[in-house]
Amino acid sequence: MWKIVARRITIMIPQILLLSIFVFLLAKAMPGDALSGLIDPNIDPKAIAEKRIQLGLNKPWYEQYWDWITSALQGDLGQSFRFKMPVTELVGERMANTFWLSLATLVFTYLIAIPLGIISGRYNDTLADRMITGYTYIGFAAPLFIFALVMLWVFGFHFGWFPTGGSVEPGSTPGTAAYIASKLYHLLLPALSMALITTVTTVQMLRNEIIDTKFKDFIVTARAKGASESRIYNRHVLRNSLLPIAAFFGYELTGLIGGTVFIESIFSYPGMGQLFLSSISLRDFSVVTALVLLYGVASILGSLLSDLILGIVDPRIRIK
Amino acid sequence: MGDKNLSGWRIVLKEIVRDKMALLSLILIVAITAFVYLTSLLLDQSQIVRVNLFELNKPPSSEFWLGTDQGGRDVFGQLIIGTRNSLTIAILVTSLSGLIGIAIGLISGYFGGMVDNFFMRIVDFFMILPTLMIVIAFVTTVPKYGIMSFTLIMTAFLWMGKARLIRSKALQERELDYVKASRTSGSSHLKIMLVQVLPNLSSIIIVSMTLNLAANIGLESGLSFLGFGFPESTPSLGTLVSYARNPQVLESRWWIWVPASVLILVLMLSINNVGQALRRAADARQRLG
Amino acid sequence: MALLEVEQLKVHFPIRGGLFGRKAEPVKAVDGVRFTIEEGQTYGLVGESGSGKTTTGRAIIGLNPITSGDVLFQGRSLKRIVRGSNQSFRRDIQMIFQDPYSSLNPKKRVIDIVAEPLRNFERMSGQEEKRAVQELLEKVGLSPDSIHKYPHEFSGGQRQRIGIARAIALKPKLIIADEPVSALDLSVQAQVLNFMRDIQKELNLAYLLISHDLGIIRHMCDYIGIMYKGRHVEQGTTSDIFGNPQHIYTKRLLSAIPDMDPNNREKQLQLRAAVNLEYKEAYNRFFDEQGLAYPLKPLSETHYAAMPERG
Repeated sequence: MWKIVARRITIMIPQILLLSIFVFLLAKAMPGDALSGLIDPNIDPKAIAEKRIQLGLNKPWYEQYWDWITSALQGDLGQSFRFKMPVTELVGERMANTFWLSLATLVFTYLIAIPLGIISGRYNDTLADRMITGYTYIGFAAPLFIFALVMLWVFGFHFGWFPTGGSVEPGSTPGTAAYIASKLYHLLLPALSMALITTVTTVQMLRNEIIDTKFKDFIVTARAKGASESRIYNRHVLRNSLLPIAAFFGYELTGLIGGTVFIESIFSYPGMGQLFLSSISLRDFSVVTALVLLYGVASILGSLLSDLILGIVDPRIRIK
Repeated sequence: MGDKNLSGWRIVLKEIVRDKMALLSLILIVAITAFVYLTSLLLDQSQIVRVNLFELNKPPSSEFWLGTDQGGRDVFGQLIIGTRNSLTIAILVTSLSGLIGIAIGLISGYFGGMVDNFFMRIVDFFMILPTLMIVIAFVTTVPKYGIMSFTLIMTAFLWMGKARLIRSKALQERELDYVKASRTSGSSHLKIMLVQVLPNLSSIIIVSMTLNLAANIGLESGLSFLGFGFPESTPSLGTLVSYARNPQVLESRWWIWVPASVLILVLMLSINNVGQALRRAADARQRLG
Repeated sequence: MALLEVEQLKVHFPIRGGLFGRKAEPVKAVDGVRFTIEEGQTYGLVGESGSGKTTTGRAIIGLNPITSGDVLFQGRSLKRIVRGSNQSFRRDIQMIFQDPYSSLNPKKRVIDIVAEPLRNFERMSGQEEKRAVQELLEKVGLSPDSIHKYPHEFSGGQRQRIGIARAIALKPKLIIADEPVSALDLSVQAQVLNFMRDIQKELNLAYLLISHDLGIIRHMCDYIGIMYKGRHVEQGTTSDIFGNPQHIYTKRLLSAIPDMDPNNREKQLQLRAAVNLEYKEAYNRFFDEQGLAYPLKPLSETHYAAMPERG
């Protein structure tokens, strides 16, 4: 097992390296550089040229890359010229918000998927199963942003049950119970909206796994030995059907990245996705670059995690 | 192997006709597509997207069937043109990314070994990129973009899934003796790939392309919704939905965004339905009756 | 000059392992095989699975790369031709495959399957091609009307005949038949084999027949080579091998042939036990430390066996 972990992590290093080069070149291709925002038309062009040299912007790209990557590794991702503050600082708080949103979404995803998948798989071809399958069918086709809009419209505006924006009630003091409650309250609708769509693949997968498993020989044997139905399902079927779901977890994680951008934009939730979109419109490219890099690292970590879980869950891969 | 004497296409047709939902979906898709492309010929796009200050935010009436938006533009006309634009881009992206994916997957799987290794490392790299963000970043980087550049940017990040799928199937096919038989019959690698192996992958290609088409409609409208699809002068389905990011529109002017949302949903559901029916047709075990 | 000369043929498959693709010890699928096939004759390659007989056949036709040694066809080295662009040797060497199901492309009609070699090497009009395919089908005993059918509409034996029709379309001089009947029912096996012999006489074909079935080999072959772990252990005419086996591996193989006469059952059983005992006792003498056979030594003009160094 450790050999695989080590091997998998060694694959990851060139991936991150390539990603960073790619992101760096992307940033270079973007119009303007770190100075365009600072430049005041009154400043003498000579001073600008001097400043450029000072910042190393006239060096060859690989040297600039080296400077950029070494400072990024030390946690310095440059300056946001719109907000006039270090990118790291700007991103930090947003990252926490996105993290909580993703976590809440994951919790909801499995809270919905596991019971629905079990009902649908255990009692397949009953009315309940048909309804669940119908839901997954529509959920599979429905784009997240439309569903989220409808949720916001119905539960946010029409009924007014949930806040329609932000991550916390303005003016509440961090650390208090009210603050935490408000944070959770603001998380609820966005996370639920996303979970109701993302859970669909997991429900379908769990259903198919259970249906596949319940006709396997070892289940038939257990039944023939007189085990009760609930024992069969809880001990044998479920245990075998949950393995692929666990293996799918990492992919679920990578899938969240795209989803949060839409959700944060619709619910005006101050996370990384919203920051990304506003930075793009404000042409605050040092923030954009940093965020693309962070998202990339997150998805690399997600695929690492899914491979590792797969290795733990599936002994056949472990042996290899 | 029940239907021994039926060719592939007749099985597909039979399966779709048997599945009433899929048949209905297919009719719906054809009807919407035909209607949208035909009527958009009659409509004057520049007139529809022109701001009209005298007709702001009008609810549906006999003059404006689906009302007007905050620029006084006819929503119905925008819906028609938007659907056409969204369908066009989705079809272009699906075919182009499909073509690249099939080519790379086929070469990779057919030759295997080093070639396969080389291409799969590239695919692996593209897979870990945060596609959505990079597409958005690219869209803002490209100074002047239209349908073609938009298609190319999306295609550049959407061919990997298809390449992987085709590769895994091609790897299985190349082990079969008919490929070796073609070699000993003197056929070139290129000829074997295109004439012998490709037809055996046709069913999975058709199924996955259909499902991709639905996904790409969603992706395009999603990008337009975020404001990174087409420019406002070229409406798409997502552009209309994006007006709902204004709470006033969302709350009280349903005619602007609801029809487009419903249309996106109907299109994606129908195409998915047909795709699922095709999948069943391709997989003999899952055929209905 | 012999039609085909195989000289010290070696086919090794490298195994890559470890983090940086270090080269491990390669698998020596074929490890120094030499034999010749004369025009119009049948050479049988026998051995258990994994003995390298199939790899030998595939290396000759160019499906597996040759590591070292050479294959001469009518005096010309195929090794160079396989690597180069000149594919004309493929005209004269064709192959019949083991599995009649996977060897015919399920998406292609019979006419496309049988005409494939014709399209690559002959310039024919559509009409000529159709006539040629119909003639070929008739020759292999199938109805000429079936050219527009798909492979799944035929039985296993019929499919194998389609495969044979494809193989003889270019009137080759040598056909490599890799277990041509092992996937077929016993009743059909004899039919196809006899039919292969008829075609052989008609077209003056040479066969390289690869099989694990000694009955088939005895029935079909003029010369026989017995392979074990990538090497020949014995080689000779059919009567040399069946009448006067020298190597213990050959003896053991022959003793395993079932006898049809139930009265001989007891005798057969004793013979088998005796041979097995001899095999165990003599194993270390007949094989080297790695369990491989020694180089062949001539016993007569036609008969060679891998006898121990100090017999």
